[in-house]
Amino acid sequence: MILDGYLVASAALFTLGVVLFLSKKNAIAILMGVELILNASAINFVAFGKFTPSQGSPFDGQIFAIFIILLAAAEAVVALAIVLAAYKEYKHIMVDQYTKLRG
Amino acid sequence: MIGIPEIFFYIFCALIFGSSLLVVFSYNLLRSAFALFFVLFGIAGFYVLLGGDFLAVIQIMVYAGGINILLIFGTMMTGSISQPETSNPSFQGILTLIGGGGLLLILLIILNHTTWPSQSLIDHGPTTKQIGQLLLRNYILPFEVISFLLVAAMVGAIVLINKGERS
Repeated sequence: MILDGYLVASAALFTLGVVLFLSKKNAIAILMGVELILNASAINFVAFGKFTPSQGSPFDGQIFAIFIILLAAAEAVVALAIVLAAYKEYKHIMVDQYTKLRG
Repeated sequence: MIGIPEIFFYIFCALIFGSSLLVVFSYNLLRSAFALFFVLFGIAGFYVLLGGDFLAVIQIMVYAGGINILLIFGTMMTGSISQPETSNPSFQGILTLIGGGGLLLILLIILNHTTWPSQSLIDHGPTTKQIGQLLLRNYILPFEVISFLLVAAMVGAIVLINKGERS
């Protein structure tokens, strides 16, 4: 069934997000990895909501995906603020060179 | 037998994976950020195929129009302008690729060995009205909590930026 297609696509996107998250030095690239992982989970929620809906409320998966998108927005704002504050201190955003992060 | 939705599914798959490979393996951070645009548009296409029209528009507006623009602004404000080619270096690339390949293999084996309970598909038509009613009836508490979380995140971001400026 095509549910497996969506699940395979979401698993591959999740894996790419994990690889990006683990292998990059730049803090904004790490943030992009987190976005890919969140999108993969949202695809899973919507696909399960479409193909195996719960009784009486078939839109639960889509509601969860909306909440995931809003949480990703809040997370991106705070993470970018941290990145910009660290950039003012260090003049670079390579996370492997942040050896001292005392405010 | 391949219908129109399957053709669009494979088109969106190609869009998502071509662009996300560019996001992961490009050494130019600005190029990664612009490739992320196409990943997010492809995912919005997935949502359309899965019957979530409201969700697809939210994805384009909030993700592609908000978060990704924010990421591009962050890239331009923090990257070294003179050296854009090496703005996105990676380390331990081989180890991470091996680990990621193993993770993908494990996930695919799990997916291959699991059978999901599949029901007959119902086309629900436009979903905006039902999602709005659900958000303001069944999910009113998470809705209010997440509005409060957005305000808190905004205030927190402003405080963080000002704190960096004072020192």
